[in-house]
Amino acid sequence: MIQLAFSLLVPAVLLLLSFYLLFSKSVSVDSFLLGARSGIDTSFRLLPTLVLLMVGVSMLSASGFPELIGRLFSPLCQRVGIDAALLPLIFIRPFSGSGSNALLLSVYEQNGVDSRTGFLASVIAGSSETVFYVTAVYFSAVHIKKTRHTLPAALLTMAVTVVLAILVGGWFYDKG
Amino acid sequence: MVGRIFSVLCILSFVSALCTGRLSLLSDAVLEGAARAVTLTLSLLGMMCLWCGVLSLLQKSGVLTRLCRLLMPILRRLFPTAAETGEGIEEIAMSISANLLGVGNAATPFALLAMEKMQAKNPEPDRATDDMVTLTVLSCASLNLLPTTLLAMRHAAGSDRATAVVLPILLVSAAGAVIALLLARLGCRRRRTGC
Repeated sequence: MIQLAFSLLVPAVLLLLSFYLLFSKSVSVDSFLLGARSGIDTSFRLLPTLVLLMVGVSMLSASGFPELIGRLFSPLCQRVGIDAALLPLIFIRPFSGSGSNALLLSVYEQNGVDSRTGFLASVIAGSSETVFYVTAVYFSAVHIKKTRHTLPAALLTMAVTVVLAILVGGWFYDKG
Repeated sequence: MVGRIFSVLCILSFVSALCTGRLSLLSDAVLEGAARAVTLTLSLLGMMCLWCGVLSLLQKSGVLTRLCRLLMPILRRLFPTAAETGEGIEEIAMSISANLLGVGNAATPFALLAMEKMQAKNPEPDRATDDMVTLTVLSCASLNLLPTTLLAMRHAAGSDRATAVVLPILLVSAAGAVIALLLARLGCRRRRTGC
Protein backbone atom coordinates (compact mmCIF):
# COMPACT_ATOMS: atom_id res chain seq x y z
CA MET A 1 0.00 0.00 0.00
CA ILE A 2 2.66 2.49 1.08
CA GLN A 3 4.93 1.12 -1.61
CA LEU A 4 2.23 1.84 -4.20
CA ALA A 5 1.84 5.42 -2.95
CA PHE A 6 5.58 5.95 -3.25
CA SER A 7 5.70 4.49 -6.72
CA LEU A 8 2.97 6.90 -7.84
CA LEU A 9 4.87 9.93 -6.58
CA VAL A 10 6.93 10.66 -9.69
CA PRO A 11 4.04 10.20 -12.15
CA ALA A 12 1.92 12.45 -9.90
CA VAL A 13 4.50 15.24 -10.04
CA LEU A 14 4.61 14.95 -13.84
CA LEU A 15 0.80 15.00 -13.99
CA LEU A 16 0.73 18.19 -11.93
CA LEU A 17 3.26 19.76 -14.27
CA SER A 18 1.28 18.73 -17.33
CA PHE A 19 -1.70 20.70 -15.99
CA TYR A 20 0.52 23.74 -15.59
CA LEU A 21 1.81 23.28 -19.12
CA LEU A 22 -1.76 23.14 -20.44
CA PHE A 23 -3.43 25.89 -18.46
CA SER A 24 -0.82 28.35 -17.23
CA LYS A 25 0.41 31.13 -19.45
CA SER A 26 3.69 31.71 -17.62
CA VAL A 27 4.81 28.06 -17.78
CA SER A 28 6.02 26.84 -21.15
CA VAL A 29 7.89 23.78 -22.27
CA ASP A 30 10.88 26.02 -23.02
CA SER A 31 11.78 26.18 -19.35
CA PHE A 32 11.84 22.38 -19.24
CA LEU A 33 14.11 22.26 -22.27
CA LEU A 34 16.47 24.87 -20.84
CA GLY A 35 16.69 23.07 -17.52
CA ALA A 36 17.25 19.71 -19.20
CA ARG A 37 20.01 21.24 -21.28
CA SER A 38 21.78 22.41 -18.13
CA GLY A 39 21.50 18.84 -16.81
CA ILE A 40 23.49 17.61 -19.80
CA ASP A 41 26.18 20.20 -19.20
CA THR A 42 26.48 19.23 -15.55
CA SER A 43 26.73 15.51 -16.40
CA PHE A 44 29.55 15.98 -18.85
CA ARG A 45 31.39 18.43 -16.62
CA LEU A 46 31.41 15.74 -13.95
CA LEU A 47 32.74 13.01 -16.24
CA PRO A 48 36.47 13.64 -15.60
CA THR A 49 35.89 13.41 -11.83
CA LEU A 50 33.90 10.22 -12.29
CA VAL A 51 36.63 8.64 -14.43
CA LEU A 52 39.19 9.22 -11.70
CA LEU A 53 36.89 7.93 -8.97
CA MET A 54 35.68 4.89 -10.87
CA VAL A 55 39.21 3.89 -11.86
CA GLY A 56 40.19 4.03 -8.18
CA VAL A 57 37.13 2.10 -7.01
CA SER A 58 37.53 -0.50 -9.75
CA MET A 59 41.17 -1.06 -8.77
CA LEU A 60 40.19 -1.35 -5.13
CA SER A 61 37.58 -4.03 -5.78
CA ALA A 62 39.91 -5.97 -8.10
CA SER A 63 42.78 -5.85 -5.62
CA GLY A 64 40.94 -8.02 -3.10
CA PHE A 65 40.80 -5.21 -0.54
CA PRO A 66 37.31 -6.15 0.73
CA GLU A 67 38.34 -9.77 1.44
CA LEU A 68 41.61 -8.62 2.97
CA ILE A 69 39.83 -6.29 5.40
CA GLY A 70 37.46 -9.12 6.29
CA ARG A 71 40.35 -11.45 7.09
CA LEU A 72 42.39 -8.85 9.00
CA PHE A 73 39.61 -7.81 11.32
CA SER A 74 37.79 -11.10 11.75
CA PRO A 75 39.45 -11.97 15.14
CA LEU A 76 38.43 -8.57 16.49
CA CYS A 77 34.93 -9.05 15.12
CA GLN A 78 34.50 -12.43 16.75
CA ARG A 79 35.41 -10.93 20.08
CA VAL A 80 32.71 -8.22 19.78
CA GLY A 81 30.23 -10.67 18.30
CA ILE A 82 29.85 -9.24 14.78
CA ASP A 83 29.95 -11.44 11.71
CA ALA A 84 33.12 -10.65 9.74
CA ALA A 85 31.10 -11.04 6.53
CA LEU A 86 29.78 -7.51 7.16
CA LEU A 87 33.22 -5.90 7.06
CA PRO A 88 33.83 -5.74 3.28
CA LEU A 89 30.43 -4.09 2.89
CA ILE A 90 31.15 -1.51 5.58
CA PHE A 91 34.51 -0.58 4.05
CA ILE A 92 33.39 -0.40 0.42
CA ARG A 93 30.11 1.41 1.10
CA PRO A 94 31.64 4.94 1.41
CA PHE A 95 33.34 4.60 -2.00
CA SER A 96 30.93 2.91 -4.34
CA GLY A 97 27.22 2.23 -4.56
CA SER A 98 27.45 -0.50 -7.18
CA GLY A 99 30.38 -2.11 -5.36
CA SER A 100 28.53 -2.22 -2.05
CA ASN A 101 25.39 -3.57 -3.73
CA ALA A 102 27.47 -6.42 -5.16
CA LEU A 103 28.88 -7.15 -1.70
CA LEU A 104 25.38 -7.02 -0.21
CA LEU A 105 24.23 -9.61 -2.75
CA SER A 106 27.15 -11.86 -1.90
CA VAL A 107 26.23 -11.61 1.81
CA TYR A 108 22.66 -12.61 0.84
CA GLU A 109 23.98 -15.57 -1.14
CA GLN A 110 26.47 -16.83 1.42
CA ASN A 111 24.63 -16.16 4.68
CA GLY A 112 21.02 -16.09 3.53
CA VAL A 113 18.95 -12.94 3.11
CA ASP A 114 16.88 -13.70 6.24
CA SER A 115 19.85 -14.64 8.42
CA ARG A 116 20.97 -12.27 11.15
CA THR A 117 23.96 -11.26 9.04
CA GLY A 118 21.80 -10.66 5.97
CA PHE A 119 19.45 -8.56 8.05
CA LEU A 120 22.23 -6.45 9.56
CA ALA A 121 23.86 -6.01 6.15
CA SER A 122 20.56 -4.67 4.80
CA VAL A 123 20.21 -2.18 7.66
CA ILE A 124 23.81 -1.02 7.25
CA ALA A 125 23.46 -0.58 3.48
CA GLY A 126 20.07 1.10 3.82
CA SER A 127 21.13 3.65 6.40
CA SER A 128 24.50 4.68 4.99
CA GLU A 129 25.53 6.57 1.87
CA THR A 130 28.49 6.63 -0.50
CA VAL A 131 30.26 9.36 1.49
CA PHE A 132 33.40 9.82 -0.63
CA TYR A 133 31.50 9.61 -3.89
CA VAL A 134 28.87 12.19 -2.86
CA THR A 135 31.45 14.61 -1.45
CA ALA A 136 33.71 14.33 -4.49
CA VAL A 137 30.87 14.82 -6.98
CA TYR A 138 29.23 17.73 -5.14
CA PHE A 139 32.39 19.73 -4.65
CA SER A 140 34.06 19.02 -7.94
CA ALA A 141 30.91 20.23 -9.71
CA VAL A 142 31.67 23.71 -8.37
CA HIS A 143 35.48 23.44 -8.30
CA ILE A 144 35.87 23.76 -4.55
CA LYS A 145 39.14 22.60 -3.05
CA LYS A 146 38.77 23.52 0.61
CA THR A 147 35.96 21.32 1.83
CA ARG A 148 36.55 22.20 5.52
CA HIS A 149 34.92 19.78 7.95
CA THR A 150 32.74 18.01 5.35
CA LEU A 151 34.60 14.69 5.21
CA PRO A 152 35.33 14.35 8.94
CA ALA A 153 31.69 15.14 9.77
CA ALA A 154 30.32 12.79 7.09
CA LEU A 155 32.66 9.93 8.03
CA LEU A 156 31.99 10.29 11.76
CA THR A 157 28.26 10.26 11.00
CA MET A 158 28.70 7.09 8.97
CA ALA A 159 30.72 5.40 11.73
CA VAL A 160 28.03 6.15 14.31
CA THR A 161 25.34 5.04 11.85
CA VAL A 162 27.04 1.67 11.27
CA VAL A 163 27.32 1.03 15.04
CA LEU A 164 23.68 2.04 15.50
CA ALA A 165 22.65 -0.16 12.55
CA ILE A 166 24.30 -3.19 14.18
CA LEU A 167 22.76 -2.47 17.59
CA VAL A 168 19.27 -1.42 16.48
CA GLY A 169 19.14 -3.93 13.61
CA GLY A 170 20.28 -6.71 15.93
CA TRP A 171 17.59 -5.81 18.45
CA PHE A 172 14.87 -5.83 15.79
CA TYR A 173 16.10 -9.17 14.43
CA ASP A 174 16.20 -10.85 17.83
CA LYS A 175 12.76 -9.52 18.71
CA GLY A 176 11.30 -11.24 15.67
CA MET B 1 40.02 16.64 -2.65
CA VAL B 2 39.18 14.22 -5.46
CA GLY B 3 42.92 13.89 -5.93
CA ARG B 4 43.39 12.85 -2.33
CA ILE B 5 40.55 10.31 -2.47
CA PHE B 6 42.04 8.86 -5.66
CA SER B 7 45.51 8.60 -4.11
CA VAL B 8 44.13 6.78 -1.07
CA LEU B 9 42.21 4.36 -3.33
CA CYS B 10 45.30 3.75 -5.47
CA ILE B 11 47.65 3.10 -2.55
CA LEU B 12 45.15 0.84 -0.79
CA SER B 13 44.65 -1.11 -4.03
CA PHE B 14 48.37 -1.60 -4.57
CA VAL B 15 49.03 -2.71 -1.01
CA SER B 16 46.12 -5.15 -0.93
CA ALA B 17 46.90 -6.45 -4.43
CA LEU B 18 50.44 -7.16 -3.21
CA CYS B 19 49.07 -9.01 -0.19
CA THR B 20 46.53 -11.07 -2.13
CA GLY B 21 48.76 -11.63 -5.15
CA ARG B 22 46.38 -10.02 -7.62
CA LEU B 23 48.72 -7.40 -9.08
CA SER B 24 48.09 -8.75 -12.57
CA LEU B 25 44.39 -7.88 -12.30
CA LEU B 26 44.94 -4.18 -11.66
CA SER B 27 45.59 -3.01 -15.19
CA ASP B 28 42.36 -4.50 -16.50
CA ALA B 29 40.54 -2.91 -13.59
CA VAL B 30 41.87 0.53 -14.57
CA LEU B 31 40.48 0.28 -18.10
CA GLU B 32 37.23 -1.17 -16.85
CA GLY B 33 36.81 1.63 -14.31
CA ALA B 34 37.34 4.34 -16.91
CA ALA B 35 34.82 2.70 -19.21
CA ARG B 36 32.34 2.33 -16.37
CA ALA B 37 32.51 6.07 -15.63
CA VAL B 38 31.33 6.73 -19.17
CA THR B 39 28.53 4.15 -19.08
CA LEU B 40 27.43 5.53 -15.71
CA THR B 41 27.33 9.09 -17.04
CA LEU B 42 25.42 8.03 -20.13
CA SER B 43 22.95 5.90 -18.20
CA LEU B 44 22.30 8.76 -15.78
CA LEU B 45 22.09 11.37 -18.52
CA GLY B 46 18.40 10.90 -19.23
CA MET B 47 17.49 11.21 -15.59
CA MET B 48 19.70 14.29 -15.16
CA CYS B 49 17.91 15.90 -18.11
CA LEU B 50 14.47 14.97 -16.85
CA TRP B 51 14.95 16.17 -13.28
CA CYS B 52 16.74 19.39 -14.16
CA GLY B 53 13.94 20.15 -16.61
CA VAL B 54 11.24 19.26 -14.10
CA LEU B 55 12.90 21.46 -11.52
CA SER B 56 12.88 24.49 -13.75
CA LEU B 57 9.21 23.85 -14.59
CA LEU B 58 8.40 23.61 -10.89
CA GLN B 59 10.22 26.89 -10.33
CA LYS B 60 8.40 28.64 -13.16
CA SER B 61 5.02 27.39 -11.99
CA GLY B 62 5.52 28.73 -8.48
CA VAL B 63 4.91 25.33 -6.86
CA LEU B 64 8.43 25.38 -5.53
CA THR B 65 8.14 28.82 -3.95
CA ARG B 66 5.12 27.60 -2.02
CA LEU B 67 6.86 24.41 -0.88
CA CYS B 68 9.83 26.48 0.20
CA ARG B 69 7.72 28.90 2.21
CA LEU B 70 6.25 25.90 4.01
CA LEU B 71 9.69 24.53 4.90
CA MET B 72 11.27 27.91 5.64
CA PRO B 73 11.27 27.63 9.47
CA ILE B 74 13.51 24.55 9.23
CA LEU B 75 15.54 25.67 6.21
CA ARG B 76 16.41 29.01 7.81
CA ARG B 77 18.05 27.23 10.73
CA LEU B 78 20.02 24.76 8.64
CA PHE B 79 20.96 26.91 5.65
CA PRO B 80 20.96 30.50 6.97
CA THR B 81 22.80 32.14 4.05
CA ALA B 82 20.90 30.39 1.28
CA ALA B 83 17.58 31.04 3.06
CA GLU B 84 18.37 34.73 3.41
CA THR B 85 19.58 35.36 -0.13
CA GLY B 86 17.23 32.84 -1.71
CA GLU B 87 20.10 31.54 -3.85
CA GLY B 88 19.77 27.78 -4.11
CA ILE B 89 17.31 27.35 -1.26
CA GLU B 90 14.59 25.98 -3.57
CA GLU B 91 17.02 23.43 -4.99
CA ILE B 92 18.08 22.45 -1.46
CA ALA B 93 14.44 21.96 -0.45
CA MET B 94 13.84 19.80 -3.52
CA SER B 95 16.97 17.73 -2.97
CA ILE B 96 16.06 16.97 0.63
CA SER B 97 12.45 16.18 -0.31
CA ALA B 98 13.58 13.90 -3.13
CA ASN B 99 15.87 12.03 -0.74
CA LEU B 100 13.12 11.70 1.85
CA LEU B 101 10.57 10.47 -0.65
CA GLY B 102 12.91 7.84 -2.04
CA VAL B 103 13.51 9.47 -5.42
CA GLY B 104 17.22 9.27 -4.75
CA ASN B 105 18.24 9.67 -8.39
CA ALA B 106 16.58 13.10 -8.42
CA ALA B 107 18.31 14.26 -5.24
CA THR B 108 21.72 14.43 -6.91
CA PRO B 109 20.82 16.77 -9.81
CA PHE B 110 18.88 19.01 -7.40
CA ALA B 111 21.79 19.18 -4.98
CA LEU B 112 24.23 19.89 -7.81
CA LEU B 113 22.04 22.78 -9.01
CA ALA B 114 21.94 24.06 -5.42
CA MET B 115 25.73 23.89 -5.19
CA GLU B 116 26.04 25.87 -8.43
CA LYS B 117 23.65 28.57 -7.22
CA MET B 118 25.44 28.86 -3.88
CA GLN B 119 28.83 28.92 -5.56
CA ALA B 120 27.75 31.90 -7.67
CA LYS B 121 27.43 33.94 -4.47
CA ASN B 122 30.44 32.47 -2.70
CA PRO B 123 32.86 35.22 -1.59
CA GLU B 124 35.76 32.70 -1.49
CA PRO B 125 35.24 30.51 -4.57
CA ASP B 126 37.74 27.79 -3.63
CA ARG B 127 36.37 27.32 -0.13
CA ALA B 128 33.08 25.64 0.78
CA THR B 129 30.46 27.82 2.48
CA ASP B 130 28.68 26.72 5.66
CA ASP B 131 25.54 25.86 3.69
CA MET B 132 27.46 23.77 1.16
CA VAL B 133 29.04 21.74 3.96
CA THR B 134 25.66 21.22 5.64
CA LEU B 135 24.01 20.12 2.39
CA THR B 136 26.81 17.66 1.56
CA VAL B 137 27.03 16.14 5.03
CA LEU B 138 23.25 15.79 5.14
CA SER B 139 23.25 14.11 1.71
CA CYS B 140 25.89 11.70 3.03
CA ALA B 141 23.44 10.59 5.72
CA SER B 142 20.96 8.55 3.77
CA LEU B 143 17.64 9.61 5.24
CA ASN B 144 14.72 8.23 3.29
CA LEU B 145 11.27 7.02 4.18
CA LEU B 146 11.34 3.92 2.00
CA PRO B 147 14.56 2.30 0.73
CA THR B 148 13.05 1.04 -2.54
CA THR B 149 16.22 -0.29 -4.20
CA LEU B 150 17.20 -2.25 -1.11
CA LEU B 151 13.71 -3.76 -0.78
CA ALA B 152 13.81 -4.79 -4.42
CA MET B 153 17.18 -6.49 -3.81
CA ARG B 154 15.81 -8.31 -0.76
CA HIS B 155 12.75 -9.46 -2.70
CA ALA B 156 14.94 -10.66 -5.55
CA ALA B 157 17.12 -12.59 -3.10
CA GLY B 158 14.00 -14.46 -1.98
CA SER B 159 13.45 -12.88 1.42
CA ASP B 160 10.33 -13.97 3.32
CA ARG B 161 10.14 -10.69 5.17
CA ALA B 162 11.80 -8.16 2.92
CA THR B 163 10.09 -5.19 4.56
CA ALA B 164 11.17 -6.10 8.10
CA VAL B 165 14.20 -3.84 7.66
CA VAL B 166 12.19 -0.70 6.93
CA LEU B 167 11.63 0.39 10.52
CA PRO B 168 15.18 -0.16 11.81
CA ILE B 169 16.58 1.60 8.71
CA LEU B 170 14.25 4.54 9.28
CA LEU B 171 15.27 4.84 12.94
CA VAL B 172 18.99 4.52 12.24
CA SER B 173 19.03 6.87 9.28
CA ALA B 174 16.94 9.45 11.16
CA ALA B 175 19.49 9.35 13.99
CA GLY B 176 22.22 9.61 11.34
CA ALA B 177 20.62 12.71 9.83
CA VAL B 178 20.39 14.40 13.24
CA ILE B 179 24.04 13.60 13.96
CA ALA B 180 25.04 14.83 10.49
CA LEU B 181 23.27 18.15 10.98
CA LEU B 182 24.73 18.62 14.46
CA LEU B 183 28.28 17.89 13.29
CA ALA B 184 27.96 20.07 10.20
CA ARG B 185 26.52 23.04 12.06
CA LEU B 186 28.86 22.69 15.05
CA GLY B 187 31.82 22.74 12.68
CA CYS B 188 30.51 25.94 11.13
CA ARG B 189 29.95 27.60 14.49
CA ARG B 190 33.47 26.81 15.71
CA ARG B 191 34.88 28.87 12.89
CA ARG B 192 32.63 31.86 13.51
CA THR B 193 33.65 32.21 17.15
CA GLY B 194 37.24 31.93 15.99
CA CYS B 195 38.51 29.08 18.19
